[in-house]
Amino acid sequence: MSATMDVKIEDGKLALTEHEGVDGWDASTPMTAVGQPATRLEGIEKVTGSARYSYDVRLPGQLYAAVLRSPHPHARITRIDTSRAEALPGVHAVISSANTPQIPWFEDSFVFDTTVRYVGDEVAAVAAVSDDVAADALGLIEVEYERLPHVTELEAAIRPDAPKLRDSGNIAGEPTVYDRGDAVAAMAGADVVIDAVFTTQAAIHNSLEPHGCTVAWEGDELTVWASTQSVFTIREDVASGLGIPEHKVRVIKHHMGGGFGAKQVAWKNDIIAPLLAKRAGRPVQLMLDRHAENLASGNRPPTRQHVRFGARSDGTLVAIWADIHIGNGAYQVGGEASNVSGMYQSLYRCDDVHTESRTVLMNTGPAVAFRAPGHVESAWVIEQVMDELARRLDLDPVEIRRRNYSPIDQVEDKPYSLPDGLAYCYDRVTADFGWANPAPPAVAGSKRRGRGFAAHDWAAGSGHPPAYAFAKLNPDGGIDLVTGTQDIGTGTRTGLAQLAAEELGIGVDQVRVQLGDTASGPYSPVSSGSSTMASIGPAVRGAVADVRQQLLRLAAVKMEVAAERLTIVDGRISVIGTTDQSMTIAEVMEDVAPANLLGRGARGPNPSDVSIRTFGAQCVEVEVDTETGEVTVLRVSTAHDIGRIINPALVDSQIHGGITQGIGFALTEERVVDHRLGMVMNANLEEYKIPTMLDVPPISHAHVDVPDSVANITGAKGVGEPPLIPTAPAIANAIFDAVGIRVHDAPISRQRMLTLLAEHGQSAAPEVAR
Amino acid sequence: MRPFAYERPESITVALSRLGDDVDGAAVRPLAGGTDLLTLMKADIVAPHTLIDLKRVVELDDRIEMTAEGMTIGALATLAQIESHPDIVGSYAALAGAASQAATPQLRNMATIGGNVLQRPRCWYFRDPQISCWLKGGDSCPARDGENAHHAIFQDSPCVAVHPSDSAAALIALDATVRIRGASGERAVSAGQFFALPTDEHRLESVLGPDELILGFTLPAPAAGSRSVYLKAMDRKTWAFALVGVAASVTVTGGTITDARVVLGGVEPIPRRLIAVEELLHGSVPSDDLFRRMGELAVVDAQPLSQNGYKVDLARALVTRALADATAPAG
Ligand SMILES: Cc1cc2nc3c(=O)[nH]c(=O)nc-3n(C[C@H](O)[C@H](O)[C@H](O)COP(=O)(O)OP(=O)(O)OC[C@H]3O[C@@H](n4cnc5c(N)ncnc54)[C@H](O)[C@@H]3O)c2cc1C
Ligand code: SF4
Repeated sequence: MSATMDVKIEDGKLALTEHEGVDGWDASTPMTAVGQPATRLEGIEKVTGSARYSYDVRLPGQLYAAVLRSPHPHARITRIDTSRAEALPGVHAVISSANTPQIPWFEDSFVFDTTVRYVGDEVAAVAAVSDDVAADALGLIEVEYERLPHVTELEAAIRPDAPKLRDSGNIAGEPTVYDRGDAVAAMAGADVVIDAVFTTQAAIHNSLEPHGCTVAWEGDELTVWASTQSVFTIREDVASGLGIPEHKVRVIKHHMGGGFGAKQVAWKNDIIAPLLAKRAGRPVQLMLDRHAENLASGNRPPTRQHVRFGARSDGTLVAIWADIHIGNGAYQVGGEASNVSGMYQSLYRCDDVHTESRTVLMNTGPAVAFRAPGHVESAWVIEQVMDELARRLDLDPVEIRRRNYSPIDQVEDKPYSLPDGLAYCYDRVTADFGWANPAPPAVAGSKRRGRGFAAHDWAAGSGHPPAYAFAKLNPDGGIDLVTGTQDIGTGTRTGLAQLAAEELGIGVDQVRVQLGDTASGPYSPVSSGSSTMASIGPAVRGAVADVRQQLLRLAAVKMEVAAERLTIVDGRISVIGTTDQSMTIAEVMEDVAPANLLGRGARGPNPSDVSIRTFGAQCVEVEVDTETGEVTVLRVSTAHDIGRIINPALVDSQIHGGITQGIGFALTEERVVDHRLGMVMNANLEEYKIPTMLDVPPISHAHVDVPDSVANITGAKGVGEPPLIPTAPAIANAIFDAVGIRVHDAPISRQRMLTLLAEHGQSAAPEVAR
Repeated sequence: MRPFAYERPESITVALSRLGDDVDGAAVRPLAGGTDLLTLMKADIVAPHTLIDLKRVVELDDRIEMTAEGMTIGALATLAQIESHPDIVGSYAALAGAASQAATPQLRNMATIGGNVLQRPRCWYFRDPQISCWLKGGDSCPARDGENAHHAIFQDSPCVAVHPSDSAAALIALDATVRIRGASGERAVSAGQFFALPTDEHRLESVLGPDELILGFTLPAPAAGSRSVYLKAMDRKTWAFALVGVAASVTVTGGTITDARVVLGGVEPIPRRLIAVEELLHGSVPSDDLFRRMGELAVVDAQPLSQNGYKVDLARALVTRALADATAPAG
């Protein structure tokens, strides 16, 4: 029985003990594979175009599906006639509420509901011999709608007379209220109070690979090649939607062109495709086009945040109060919640905090987690308010944050696993940026420069146990690593191979990583919350440690020394401290060949006496042209407590991608809805403006790289989401520094910047005072 | 996309006669790079049953040639050819600048100058097949009281879309002539006259007949002491249509402005030539103050919609800046 995966049932519950006998790596552990910028294992496949995405799957007889979507923001379907579509040559199946059982999906609605609640809601679907025939067939489906009143604007949806999406009204469930101390009473003791309303926009994930899947039935077994952040979630939801056992469904995901949170739940396409395939008796591919992707597969919900922050004249916070509305769209789709309240409660030390948050239904596409859900939205507010407090009190923006430092998780009332994590970020980022150096002068003419700072925490990053891995040591000394996690484009395969190589003392090229397949991989959780590495990494270490122990026991017999005295370096087993006697792994494995050694690893529970978080801080410099409203981000420095850096190249990729998305959120990205029509005007990549390479300045990542040895045995936490969180408020603060204008509403588009400059009197834009 | 026939004639007579067969002017359309036409067809905004590819027509070409009289540019010249042609970069900087700031490198490799000046508006109501609008033959304009942040700030047409072409403004500022061929022969129209505000009877942005083709453009030789610039404001650094664009060509002789042509793009359904500004510049001595006043004058008649007041500020600033750039001491 393995010492490294101890699965017990205690008090009727699954209890996993993590890796008995596997010591955590700490800062002093010498490392060879971990910490190196190893090239992505799938890099060549990706740059040569041979990597297979869900869209690339081609099966004999495969059909192509298209979905008819509601043209109305709110309507009842009174009649559907699909006969003309069915008669079109090349069409193999047409499904809709008229011929499909009511499969529950999204709260109290159905896969094909007879009420449609936003423009883009699914009405019917077709499978045909080509995309073109499928599209033509959609045009032949006749639908009659009885239109219902709609509301697509957050502010309008909460008015008492607003058209209702549900009988119970447009506020979903009960408000989420949090109280620590008495914020209202404490506010009275403040020397300064900031009372302001901020808003953030609906933003679209815009994964380059849209949502979708290819499916095939063989008998009563279904295989789904899905573009997903969680093969096990898709399996569970598809099996239950179809009413078949989970073992009849196999979900595969090889490569993925982005998810950013939106692919952590099963969407209707994941169930529509198998339904069509069953009816047609052929494999079916259903990939969304860009229009559908941007209308109907999730968004970052718009928010309205009314806040009051009270501080003493020395900058210490006395009270935080926030009233939050989140514009959820038509359905609550599950997955990570957009926790806008969280950072109000945790980022800064404050005894008296009140937050209340309401989730608002409206006739727009459903919201879903989007890279750091809730935190991006609240950072926009909190970090601008902290900046404002610093200015009112004539304090340095970093200093005011240091004065409100919390080494403990005030919500959980536990110390952080790395209590100085955020302080490290402050130190590193300000040094890297040269925050203490005198600011460069405002440029001549109409241009003004400014610098801004913002910090954040992130609730996840600690891993979501359980997660399991197998390691198979082959006779030639190489390893097959098998897990049920997925690489969503972040480089998980490579990071895991580095962990395995480190643990066994072999090269990264000696490791093959098999993942993204429910049929072969043992369970691993959804890749969300920046937690993939922290979830599965320890299990992988454990599995490899398991084979390592077996290998060393074999070697001990052969070499006639105690196993405890042996070590493995570069694939060679030797006695610690000597060089005279050694054997390669392959030589030891000769007796095992052709079989292999099997190791199993499990990710145990997180420690219960500490709170594990990630932290970060960013400095940016911007230039504002006061005549044209053009904002140029000149440079960004960033530092993050993400625990051990397993692969600096992969981490830097996340940093660059996250900050790029943050720049888009700050300046250009916004879903535009015509509220009269209830229609999205820019569900495309032309009018919805993501940053281009020219919009992204040099980004400097000041590595913190302090292993969080308390968090787990790898010391690594997560980096996927954090870099995006502080970017937008740091830019807003830099704009304030440059032109003295506080922008409450995101994004800071040309339109908004010029409008505010005009309101403030352009020529009156202050010379930058420092 | 609806099925269509594709023809590739080698003679312009055949091409023109095929266009002439089509009585309402919508069913048979010429195809150049296809970067706008195919997009409109995919969105079902237009639905020709036949496309006449112009690429093989011997009388049409992509030649860019400097002659004694000036510059000739074939209708099939791509924006990529134009932005990198040394004579255009050297003598017609506004056109090179307009071409180089348009779209993306991939698109500029396909997009022809003939097609560029004929592209249809990017108004998102116009481009959405589910929405009816005046320009598409409907009764009213949903943009006027809708999401109009990108729309017109001058109200001279029932349509408040803006002309999307960067090159169009530059061609007018450079006093280009459009050479046109129809069944009855060739005609030449100044670029300024080529664009026309859409009216109830003619819901298009140019005077080109449905049975006519653009052969190319002729630009007069630049006068001694003349300089031209194109400035473009976008929502991001590149790959975006102009919020406002301005093309200015200014001739300074002996310290005095002797000729000026200034054109705003992105402000109404066609490029807007600023005649009043040009007249006042004529005979004036360049100065920051003068250019600031010209910026003001450029927008005196502006009537912004609910969401686009900022474009008035932008137009004012860009006109001022373009004039300063076009007259700044060289070097
Ligand atoms: C994403 C995107 C971004 C863009 N950004 C910009 C930008 O920033 N600035 C800008 O200026 N443009 C921009 N464009 C537009 C692009 O430049 C035009 O689509 C292109 O120039 C059109 O040329 P074409 O050869 O592809 O024309 P086509 O699409 O082939 O034709 C366009 C129209 O012109 C007609 N036509 C073409 N040639 C002739 C001729 N010789 N005689 C008569 N009729 C003719 C066609 O029948 C059609 O009606 C962008 C386009 C896209 C898709
Ligand atoms: S602005 Fe013109 S193109 Fe746009 S909706 Fe109005 S009429 Fe149509």
